[in-house]
Amino acid sequence: MTIGIVSAAYIAAAVLFILSLGGLSGQESAKRAVWYGIVGMGLAVIATVFGPGVGNWFIIAVMIAGGSVLGYYVASRVQMTEMPQLVAALHSFVGLAAVFIGFNAHIEAARIALLDQPARAALEGFAGILAHKTPVELAIMKVEVFLGVFIGAVTFTGSVIAFGKLAGRVDGKAKKLPGGHVLNAGAAILSLILLVMYAGGSGVWMLVLMTLLAFFIGYHLIMGIGGADMPVVVSMLNSYSGWAATAIGFTLGNDLLIVTGALVGSSGAILSYIMCKAMNRSFLSVILGGFGSMTGPAMEITGEQVAIDADGVAAALNDADSVVIVPGYGMAVAQAQQSVSELTRKLRAAGKTVRFAIHPVAGRLPGHMNVLLAEAKVPYDIVLEMDEINDDFPTTDVAIVIGSNDIVNPAAQEDPNSPIAGMPVLEVWKAKQVFVSKRGQGTGYSGIENPLFFKDNTRMFYGDAKKSIDQLLPQIG
Amino acid sequence: MNIGTPYENFPGEARVALTPESARHLRKLGYDCLVEAGAGKAAGFSDDAYRVAGVTVVESAAALYAQSDIVAKVRPPEASEVDRLRSGQTLISFFYPVQNRDLLEAAKARGVNVIAMDMVPRISRAQKMDALSSMANIAGYRAVIEAGNNFGRFFTGQVTAAGKVPPAKVLVIGAGVAGLAAIGTATSLGAITYAFDVRPEVAEQIESMGAEFVYLDFADQAADGAATGGYAAPSSPEFREKQLQKFRELAPQIDIVITTALIPGRDAPKLWLADMVAMMKPGSVIIDLAAERGGNCDLTVADQRVVSDNGVIVIGYTDFPSRMATQASTLYSTNIRHMMADLTPGKDGKLVHNMEDDVIRGSTVTFEGAIAYPPPPPKIQAIAAQKPKEKPKELTQEEKRAAETAAFKAQTRNQGLLLVAGTALLLLVGAYAPASFMNHFVVFTLACFVGFQVIWNVSHSLHTPLMAVTNAVSGIVILGALLQIGSGNWLVVVLAALSVLIATVNIVGGFLVTRRMLAMFQKS
Repeated sequence: MTIGIVSAAYIAAAVLFILSLGGLSGQESAKRAVWYGIVGMGLAVIATVFGPGVGNWFIIAVMIAGGSVLGYYVASRVQMTEMPQLVAALHSFVGLAAVFIGFNAHIEAARIALLDQPARAALEGFAGILAHKTPVELAIMKVEVFLGVFIGAVTFTGSVIAFGKLAGRVDGKAKKLPGGHVLNAGAAILSLILLVMYAGGSGVWMLVLMTLLAFFIGYHLIMGIGGADMPVVVSMLNSYSGWAATAIGFTLGNDLLIVTGALVGSSGAILSYIMCKAMNRSFLSVILGGFGSMTGPAMEITGEQVAIDADGVAAALNDADSVVIVPGYGMAVAQAQQSVSELTRKLRAAGKTVRFAIHPVAGRLPGHMNVLLAEAKVPYDIVLEMDEINDDFPTTDVAIVIGSNDIVNPAAQEDPNSPIAGMPVLEVWKAKQVFVSKRGQGTGYSGIENPLFFKDNTRMFYGDAKKSIDQLLPQIG
Repeated sequence: MNIGTPYENFPGEARVALTPESARHLRKLGYDCLVEAGAGKAAGFSDDAYRVAGVTVVESAAALYAQSDIVAKVRPPEASEVDRLRSGQTLISFFYPVQNRDLLEAAKARGVNVIAMDMVPRISRAQKMDALSSMANIAGYRAVIEAGNNFGRFFTGQVTAAGKVPPAKVLVIGAGVAGLAAIGTATSLGAITYAFDVRPEVAEQIESMGAEFVYLDFADQAADGAATGGYAAPSSPEFREKQLQKFRELAPQIDIVITTALIPGRDAPKLWLADMVAMMKPGSVIIDLAAERGGNCDLTVADQRVVSDNGVIVIGYTDFPSRMATQASTLYSTNIRHMMADLTPGKDGKLVHNMEDDVIRGSTVTFEGAIAYPPPPPKIQAIAAQKPKEKPKELTQEEKRAAETAAFKAQTRNQGLLLVAGTALLLLVGAYAPASFMNHFVVFTLACFVGFQVIWNVSHSLHTPLMAVTNAVSGIVILGALLQIGSGNWLVVVLAALSVLIATVNIVGGFLVTRRMLAMFQKS
């Protein structure tokens, strides 16, 4: 295949990728759009493999076959509740690959620098590109390699830690080494010095040292961020993995890599922005970890938490005309989505209006709740966003909160001293009756008291979400 | 334990404290129910119906009192009934401890634990046992029906072949539970309804029921009802004067007046004076729901229908709930059953008189040989104090437009500045970087731009699939590895091969899982 055909294939692939992401604007068009992505990727890979300067086909075939089997295995086995882990794990792969490719570029460049002129002329493919670079271009390439490896390394360890936290293998609480962000800043500054030295001609050790520092930054940065901020972290890593690909693209002079990396990078950046906005926090405050400091004493909460049993909830549901269900991470933990779906089906069969209210940061991944509900066959047209449903709570008979806490906390609106003051929340307390399904008393991840639980129209439905809902089912209808 | 319900001795009382339906629920709580023969007859519940529900029908009142641990009735007990009560027994009924001091002493002397249904605190949790509200609701409805019965015209306006009928105009004074029920009934019959209340915070409730709130232009508005547990407080003489003046203004055009104004622990305030009645058209109707406490209207005679000199009918019945005995009994017995549910936390038929509980403490008037009235103030405020509402400043059309233009200008300026800064940065890079780099840089910038435009349109519900698909797409780094794998250096080959492997996992895994997820999204 000539370089011209390869370029044409790359252009087609880039367009297909853009269409693939753009198609996600609607549920139905998304189903078609994912094929665009697959075809684009196929085109790009085939064009590259059969393009000029690629060898070792046997290894390529083995590796692609192996990777496909692994990918297929993972994709077909993963539970929908484990999606956040999977996404984090896949990010770490991109990061690691970026590190490897960056090092390769350095090694190749070093090898070619030792060759004499006729041997250089004979090279083709990536080595050929390197061989024809001017000294200025080589210097720029060094910076690109350095950046690619740096972003890749941060993405790698960061994603590994995020994966560990999401999978419950690493403690979800925010932890920092003594020194906190000064350590990160120090490592970053050191990396910058190393960059200058590396670009100035110092050897591969600068690169290796920087990689270790970047590994540390990725580890330490994500360790310092707690469980409920994970949606932001995951989208941020998503963005990083994109920028890593872009940096590699610059190194290799490959436009398709640059385009795709930029698409992914901006996608992650926008998701992070949306998540931060939904928590009314700046991106920096999330990354620096922990909730903002309190500006005064929290508002006194009066009243008591009143418990209720399944009979009571069932009676209220049978009397209600309109029901809104607010799911949160607790529903995913308890694997209650099937029971919730069954409850929805029964209530709808009884002629009641049932809708779901999804807060943008519900769960541990942007859009996590939507996927869980879709898996449980809840039709997507009754699953609404916060802005679409918030005005409807005053006319709602029963609101059921399943395993969410901060996203329904009225303190965000009522208490200017609350750490979450100003965060947009679902106004469930305006419904005539609110039932909160929760494992027990306690404040949950953020440690913020929730005045909702003490409201007069709130009843606490203690117990495992799945068991609680299952108890309701026989009494509905 | 046994719950017994006697026949109501009070003349004309048709209600009963136990229905077959409530007995079923009480049995679920672990109680056995008894009823005196004929107790439910006037309310439409036969002895047989009770038997079907598993209630034991007892022939005499004496036997019923002897067998019952808990006696549930409607009216406060009469002397003869008090004598039948024994120490340790629990009585649940209306009691009115303020008016019935002697009765309270008698109950204390006999050692009876009395729970007064009229003393249930007005907090949200206790709404299901608030018998006063259920009765008031019925009274409000019945008041309109009674008015319709005495009123010689339609409520709703009609244009018929035989001529035009104007709609009736109804004025409801006092928008408590009874008042709101009356408003609801009157508007649904088609009348033009006005309502007045001294508590300005109920204006919203009145308007939500479809009536027009009669505003008083009075600087020092009446105190907030929240301070008195949601009831009205006596108003100042100046306010009262203003109020009466308003009523005089309204009186000639109003066809039906329903007065429900009561102040806790006082006689009913006189609001519809004789001169107002005189101003009304003949055939108009006044229903005075406060008749039992002296009436809001000068002409009211308790329990009677009087006709004024100018032909205005003034009705002062005091037994509206009893006139709808079936409905009233159903609601009252439900209130009683909710009270029993609170008194039986174990659902084992064992009554636990928990004096720590706000609702139970508040409604208990005698307990273990001592008078427990008045109760300490409840721990929970009945109604949150109304915050003075600030009216959002209405912007005029010009101001709005000016604000919009200003915002647009600011936006344009910001965008312009950003563009200038961005271009400057690009120029700076271009001045130093070689041409080959700039080519890629242009591609990069455009791709970022396209990415931002495209991703903003992604539906929120598809964010997880978006992340999965970007996972797959970022597997594009495989291209880099593929380009390097042909190298002559073994280390490069190994690293590139590993990169190909993991990038493939990303591509295949990412796309497949996206497909799996998207297939799940189904429309109903």
